[in-house]
Amino acid sequence: MTTPLFISFAQLAGHMFSLESVYVLTGLVLLVFACMAFTDRTNHRRIGSGMFWLVLGIIFIFGSLLPYWLTGLMVLFLVILDGAGRVVRGRTGHENEDRPESRIGNRIFWPVLAIPAVTFVFAGIFRIAGMDANRGALVGLGFGGIAGMLLGLKLTGGTVRMMMSEGRRLNEAMGAVNILPQLLASLGVIFTAAGVGDLIAGGIQQVIPADNLFLLVVANCLGMALFTIVMGNSFAAFPVIATGVLVPLIIKPFGVNPAMAAIITLTAGSSGTLMTPMAANFNIVPAALLNMRDEYGVIRFQLPFALTIWSFHVLLLWILTKYY
Amino acid sequence: MEIRELFKLAGILIVVIGLALRLRTTLVVVTAGLVTGLAAGMPLFSNEGIFTGMAIVTSQGKTGLINMLGKAFADNRLMTLFIITLPAIGLSEKFGLQRQAGDLIGRIKAATVGRLQITYQLFRVLHGALGIRLNGHPSFVRPLIFPMSVGAMQAKAGSKEVPDELIERIKASNAASENYGNFYGQNLSPVQAGILLVYGVMQGLGFTISIWDLVLFTSPVVVASIIFAIIQFRWLDRRLDRGLERQA
Repeated sequence: MTTPLFISFAQLAGHMFSLESVYVLTGLVLLVFACMAFTDRTNHRRIGSGMFWLVLGIIFIFGSLLPYWLTGLMVLFLVILDGAGRVVRGRTGHENEDRPESRIGNRIFWPVLAIPAVTFVFAGIFRIAGMDANRGALVGLGFGGIAGMLLGLKLTGGTVRMMMSEGRRLNEAMGAVNILPQLLASLGVIFTAAGVGDLIAGGIQQVIPADNLFLLVVANCLGMALFTIVMGNSFAAFPVIATGVLVPLIIKPFGVNPAMAAIITLTAGSSGTLMTPMAANFNIVPAALLNMRDEYGVIRFQLPFALTIWSFHVLLLWILTKYY
Repeated sequence: MEIRELFKLAGILIVVIGLALRLRTTLVVVTAGLVTGLAAGMPLFSNEGIFTGMAIVTSQGKTGLINMLGKAFADNRLMTLFIITLPAIGLSEKFGLQRQAGDLIGRIKAATVGRLQITYQLFRVLHGALGIRLNGHPSFVRPLIFPMSVGAMQAKAGSKEVPDELIERIKASNAASENYGNFYGQNLSPVQAGILLVYGVMQGLGFTISIWDLVLFTSPVVVASIIFAIIQFRWLDRRLDRGLERQA
């Protein structure tokens, strides 16, 4: 009699601690953010902003059940809302109100540290149980967020309303850019289906012989850095370079470990981020914050470092492809 | 190569020009996807469900662009899961998280400007490894690291005045240590944006990879970023010393 009981327990745990339930929980958080945005009288775009977070929340909760065409139309709706400038932040309370009497010393780190702690514990349990450790980390991130909330409420004595309002402040500070990685991954899928990758790969092959690994690695890392310099965003450059250069010209023909090649390609783009005024948040805004005389002073300082570490990426990818 | 083929590259052109012109990033990216798909002759919708048999917007046997967008977006929800961590972080910030972290940084005892930058960079790498997302320029660099660096410099200069051009160089190094630590350190956590983007894009290209392998293979780059920074910040120290001597 114990066996069926055990199975049902395992099934229950399997459902509860699944990626799907974490999507639903995140969707619920988004619905709360949406309600708060709708009723925020300080936000002159509260309908548009509320709709954005509401629709995103619905996609999170029902994304696996909705027909893809409907989700697709909802994504278009999100993007049009943002494109029309309808998604803006409200004035949610004071940032870091931080009354001295309410400070709890170093214990304030616990809720924040609970998030990675739970993430790693879940990943470990999934691995030991023989399940996908990727999934474990993501499920752990979700439940880590919940654990952080509970611990935070208990330690600070704050209210749930206060907590959600603070969460919303952080969420709206980032705004619609939150969904950018999801959009970029979708762009990669469409590029692949449309054959853009093959086209770029064909173009490069007319210049570089298909068996010249070193030059292909240079083209890959250079393309990544140049795209990043122009666009100011290595995340936007990655799907283009991955579909057009990395996968067709390096990973497939040379049988390289795709995880190794992909992550090295991404950070080859970070060298570009260090060199470009387009990445204003990292290079131009700090120069202004620090009242620097030279607007490009930060970039100038970073330039030798960026070139050195870019060359290191080329060598690393080349050596690991050749000998690993 | 056919001219028609080249139209498929319009999407890339749209991304490059759109982002260079600072247009709304989300709109630019989706427009690029739609234009590329249409240029490749893909229909807007799959020929199924309520769209069955509809002319123009569907095409027999081809997956629709909107369907593809919806599926990819739903499949990649994992990239935006961090939203669930925001209430806990926000609440902690309200009760003095930043101030407490500032106290911690303030306790760093570094004899030179360069060593302080290295220590701060390592602190940011640790942030990344713990999966904490943060723009440190406004919260740490301007209010803490910059005055601490000037303090370290002034202690060395004694009664001498620190020349302006050295202060400018110190400012640049403050921003750089934040960027070095942030950019390379963040990939040490399997749930950070960059790792999940790479995971999702590679999945879309037909490769299921382990996010743990991504962390493993980024570690040589993290080590290199720290070593190169140590070299650069030691040079900085030497330059600052020479600058002071010239002042004398």
